Amino acid sequence: MVGVIVTGMLAAQAEGRRRFDVEAETVGEALRALPVWDLLFNERGELHRHLNVYVDGTDHRERGGLQAPVAGAREIRVVAMVSGG
Amino acid sequence: MAPALGVLALLGTSKGLFLLRGDDDRRRWRTEGPLLVGWGVYHAIADPRDGTLYAAANHLVYGATVQRSTDGGQTWRRSKQIGLPEESGLTLNATWHIEPGRPEDPATLYLGAAPGVLFRSGDGGETWDVNRGILEHPTRAGWFPGAGGMSCHSVQLDPRARDRMYVGITAAGVFRSDDGGETWIPVNKNVEADFLADPYSEVGQCPHKLLLHPARPERLWQQNHFGVYRSDDHGDSWVRLDGNGLPSGFGFPLMLDPKDPDTAFVIPERSAEYHYSAGGRLAVYRTRDAGDTWEAMTDGLPEQAWAAVLREASAFDSDSLYFGTQGGSFFALTESDMWVEAIRHLPPILSVEVTPWSG
Repeated sequence: MVGVIVTGMLAAQAEGRRRFDVEAETVGEALRALPVWDLLFNERGELHRHLNVYVDGTDHRERGGLQAPVAGAREIRVVAMVSGG
Repeated sequence: MAPALGVLALLGTSKGLFLLRGDDDRRRWRTEGPLLVGWGVYHAIADPRDGTLYAAANHLVYGATVQRSTDGGQTWRRSKQIGLPEESGLTLNATWHIEPGRPEDPATLYLGAAPGVLFRSGDGGETWDVNRGILEHPTRAGWFPGAGGMSCHSVQLDPRARDRMYVGITAAGVFRSDDGGETWIPVNKNVEADFLADPYSEVGQCPHKLLLHPARPERLWQQNHFGVYRSDDHGDSWVRLDGNGLPSGFGFPLMLDPKDPDTAFVIPERSAEYHYSAGGRLAVYRTRDAGDTWEAMTDGLPEQAWAAVLREASAFDSDSLYFGTQGGSFFALTESDMWVEAIRHLPPILSVEVTPWSG
């Protein structure tokens, strides 16, 4: 079980919930278990490019991307990049 | 159904959806919103068949979707299964225009989207299937996306011919189907595309808005990148109309009078290079003779303005006209051709639709 934290607009799209405890083996599985998974990926299953995903404070790309295991991880945070405007 | 108390305007903005309720005389308006806070609402409609609200909602980070509400905008549900097949090599960029299906197909809707694609839903907007005839059109290699991308922004159904429909796609042209959307033929004859090597080629034109007249469906009007056009033969040929009174042929919005097929309205901009009011004067131009002559309607509009009105940001009903600017002002036409600014300082207005409001 790993906790996934979403912010702002994603929480608004999930009836206000900001934290989800999900069963998952990889980062990708954890994200796809969210009720807002469709706002994170395009139709190819690629993460939208303006999203950052941190696993216990480390960019998921540095851990191997969506295939990175989450065993032992405490928390995944999904954060929109600062993109101006 | 309760008698209409006035008009409900759905204003899609870059930061969400606003609902404005206007009294019968369209002079007093009450504002609700923003709904769908943070979403860029490229287009929103109230389905005339059951009142469901649909919004083409887009976000820089979270992508493109369609949201729908059956409780007047209090709660929303996102569509599932909206995307392009892998073999196309394309991915959905934006949702642009939602068109209700025919009255006899109450669960059918159409969705125009970028890059130059059309979807159909048969389940009230829960899921969407891409139209293969447009996606795999043999001329697609000759479509060149412009500065605004390649949006399918106009979807028009012929009310008298069940299998006939039209789409308008920027940098691709106007296409007609006579077989319910299976196959599409380009209908761009005499329409200029000055940015192409052959300015009168089969495809590659840039319609900005396409409307069919509901009472004379063989008549189509088109505000194009290069001029205002009319067709009286289902799009088979077009006549250019922007001489005789229009300060510019360039613009985006287009409005009609449902009672009079000879009347149309446009809001010219200076040029393709200068997207603001022609002559620094915000004006709606009207023709009452099928485009032979045009006259400015400026009463109530600011005398100095460098405004832009986007392609979806105008609407009409049997009584009036409505439009919103990128500067966040919304105008409605009242008696004696007087415009009233119903609200200002909204986020940039991307779309306007209106429907009767009965409380």
